[in-house]
Amino acid sequence: MPPPELPALLGEVRELTARYQAGRPNCFEAFRQLTALLLHLTVLAPQGGVRLARGRRPDTLALGGWSGPDDPLPLLDNRYLRLSFTLFMAQTPEGPRLKVQDSSYQYQADRDGRDWIFRYDYLRVPPHPHPAAHLQIRGGLAGGYLSAGTPLERFHFPTGRVSLEGVIRLLADQFHVPCNEPPEIWRPVLAESEQAFLAIARRPLSGPAE
Amino acid sequence: METAPILELSREEIVARIEQGARQRRRLSARELLRQYQAGSLDEPGEVADLLALAHLLAEDDPLLAAA
Repeated sequence: MPPPELPALLGEVRELTARYQAGRPNCFEAFRQLTALLLHLTVLAPQGGVRLARGRRPDTLALGGWSGPDDPLPLLDNRYLRLSFTLFMAQTPEGPRLKVQDSSYQYQADRDGRDWIFRYDYLRVPPHPHPAAHLQIRGGLAGGYLSAGTPLERFHFPTGRVSLEGVIRLLADQFHVPCNEPPEIWRPVLAESEQAFLAIARRPLSGPAE
Repeated sequence: METAPILELSREEIVARIEQGARQRRRLSARELLRQYQAGSLDEPGEVADLLALAHLLAEDDPLLAAA
């Protein structure tokens, strides 16, 4: 038997997904609410919050911690997730749609981020020749196989678009970050949300074409 | 989920945050950080992705970006 609150949560995910994928109005807030829901069910500490920030461009907002994209989210393992998204409204043949310009998920042990652990970046315009979507790990590699003088953290392992749901699963299942709800709740919720994301996510090449 | 108010940032607040972060983490001015980013020569832009997200909130003709 599924937990009694699960159908309502799945319905909320579907409703927020439909709103953020439909463009105006309020698609930015729907995206924020979905992000916050996934994090509040799982690894986010009670005092953490996800918020949109706006500056001088009417159709561009940043998504991040409560005080802005440079405010990392506190997690239940007393570490942090620095989540920073740049969202913009694009004109498409189907009408205005919310798009992600850049996104970055950095798991870090300290608030400042000097002691970071891993980072997934997606840059719509990456610096040559790095892959637009990549993973960096701050650590070592057994066997001495690295190029001379290049630490592992400066390798950019190409990835597909990695979803927030994938990062949450990595934190919960492999870094053993505690979650606010049991897996019988959050696993189906993450699956519902991630399937909708993967259906529309832009898939960049793993490097420059020239 | 409840609605959350959007955090409204003035140009001065955005520039101050980028300036502080760039100097602490890269020993660069905000202007130089953004110049290198726009030239495609910024080392490890993901490391300062949060500062670049702030920069994307500046007007496209902002002097900090125009000079970069």
